[in-house]
Amino acid sequence: MTAHILTPEELALLTLVQDELVPAYGDLPGAGTLGGALTVDAYLAERPWLRRPVLTALRAVEAAAGETPFAELDSGGRVGILRRVEGEDPEAFTELVKQTYNAYYTRPDVQASLGIDGPPQPLGFELPAFDESRLARVQAMGKLWRDA
Amino acid sequence: MAAPELDSDVLIVGSGASGAAAAWSLSRRGLRVTCLEQGRWVEPSDYAHSRPDYELARQTSFAKDPNVRGWAEDYPINNSGTPIYPLMVNAVGGSTVHWSGHFPRMRPSDFRVRTLDGVADDWPFTYWDLEPYYDLNDSMVGVSGLAGDPGNPPRSPRQTPPLAFDAGCEAYLRGLEKLGWHWWPCDNALISEPFGENRSPCNCCGPCDIGCPIGAMSSAHVTYWPKALSQGVQLITHARVEQITVDRAGRATGALYYDDQGVRRSQTAGVVVMAANGVGTPRLLLNSTSARFPNGLANDSGIVGAYLMFHPVAFVSGVFEEVVNGQRGPIGGLMNCQEFYETDLARGFVRGFELQLSRSVGPLSVANGGILGHPVPWGSEHHEALRSRYAHTMTTSVMLEDLPEPENRVTLDPGLTDAHGIPAPRVEYRVGENTQRMLEFSIARARELFEAAGAVEILVDPLVQESGWHLMGTCRMGDDPERSVINGWGQAHECPNLFVIDGSTFTTSAAVNPTSTIQAVALRCADWLGKNYRAVAA
Repeated sequence: MTAHILTPEELALLTLVQDELVPAYGDLPGAGTLGGALTVDAYLAERPWLRRPVLTALRAVEAAAGETPFAELDSGGRVGILRRVEGEDPEAFTELVKQTYNAYYTRPDVQASLGIDGPPQPLGFELPAFDESRLARVQAMGKLWRDA
Repeated sequence: MAAPELDSDVLIVGSGASGAAAAWSLSRRGLRVTCLEQGRWVEPSDYAHSRPDYELARQTSFAKDPNVRGWAEDYPINNSGTPIYPLMVNAVGGSTVHWSGHFPRMRPSDFRVRTLDGVADDWPFTYWDLEPYYDLNDSMVGVSGLAGDPGNPPRSPRQTPPLAFDAGCEAYLRGLEKLGWHWWPCDNALISEPFGENRSPCNCCGPCDIGCPIGAMSSAHVTYWPKALSQGVQLITHARVEQITVDRAGRATGALYYDDQGVRRSQTAGVVVMAANGVGTPRLLLNSTSARFPNGLANDSGIVGAYLMFHPVAFVSGVFEEVVNGQRGPIGGLMNCQEFYETDLARGFVRGFELQLSRSVGPLSVANGGILGHPVPWGSEHHEALRSRYAHTMTTSVMLEDLPEPENRVTLDPGLTDAHGIPAPRVEYRVGENTQRMLEFSIARARELFEAAGAVEILVDPLVQESGWHLMGTCRMGDDPERSVINGWGQAHECPNLFVIDGSTFTTSAAVNPTSTIQAVALRCADWLGKNYRAVAA
């Protein structure tokens, strides 16, 4: 079991942030409610160079929220805060978004919602064979290369 | 054949596309061959394709940029002076371990650009000199495709038929037929039917760029290496070469390297063959200073590392209303359009380009920007935006000829080193004026194609930063020792028992993926070396 990098407070904040970045859709709850914060926490443990931008972005969200905690804002207020942080520190915020997407789209249930039955192997996909008759026009073009 | 005190007849540095081919060719003649490879064998369990988080491998264990991937076997590269980052894999099989497998040949005109178009230099041999080695190489690795392309000289039957043709191909065809442009199914180093031992035909799983766990991709570690090892080649992995050693007369004697325990060792040989790619080879030659070669081995001319060529790449994606499932099927292996390949000065530039009509990626990579740097927006519009692109996108790579310029070069970084203290390479590169004009023209043509095909949205990355897959020209071939490092057999002008056989050898870059040509050149050089070993090593 890998030790947490994020504190319980940071995990809670990240969960709320992720629910705004990738909101609920159909039967699927938002990326935070799906457990994305813990997945990102694991990424930070595995890849230390991600800690600085992700933590920077989280602290900026906290600071931008000011006296009203982020958790007490409605969705519109939270999105406003996130837009502000994105504008002020796009590099850190982009990393936060990227890691949230990483956590969300690697989930089998999310992939299933997109019609994906499983990982690429071992089954792969059956695709139609090439039909040479499609080349008739090109074959009639004649030599297109220069000899030398 | 070797003098008793030598460890081997031939020492090859690097086990990638060229080193593997040369090891097979030279050992077939009975020469004792040793290959030093700083990487390791990539194991089946290393591949991510059977995991739901397989797309993460593009950012981590199978990232194409070694500075990002950070394997222990990788060395750092100072990229601060180039808008295009050099990409490579340090493993048995080299950069063929994860690649798109595009396997086109250069055209005859590509070898005669000075004569035909008045730029750069002619190669010291012709397409027709190389053709038998193209054929030999194809028969060794296994190629899918179809002979008969009017855009290229006739060629031998491909080993397996073209790869699948699906909805994305139909979308491309709508545009191509409307415009009346050339197209042809790609030659791919990717088998579509059984070929070779312990390899399975492609099952169209998709992400070739993070490797091929079933051996369908004709990577050097599944094609040449099993045969080379069976012929007695000694392959030493985790062997990081520090420098090529020379005697007082300036003849190569072997190499110093660090083994897997960090112990500094030497290997001696009658001939040294450099196959460490267009960045690694000049790096090692420049680091191989001696009383005879104070500026680096075979570098009296000062052009080892100079004339670096990439293929500057633009990506243009078309988003379609219909489902095209671009994430299914080999990511790169569809069709090529060579309508604009040969020089037409009316276009405003010399030489030409091809459009590589390719597929797309899975949902995570789409969300993070797809093949281009256009992430799907976060927030309330995220899901609809993602669903409009995922499975609805096809991407074309614009692949254009980069002219050799001496200012574009690989040098040794004065401060940065690898884990063994060996100076790291620094890459300085700028996109030339001719190339820039060609980029703009070619992007406009790719847009035109997607518009004709009915794309509802077109996304462009006009110069892809992580696109330095093709590392060429840094120890260029030629007959003139003032303008080249090696002759047409790969033999260094200044050090007759030193050979270079990788992408460094390219006199010019053409506008096609280079691996097929790299291996054909390596086979040609190895064939000559094998026939002339006694004289060369004497």
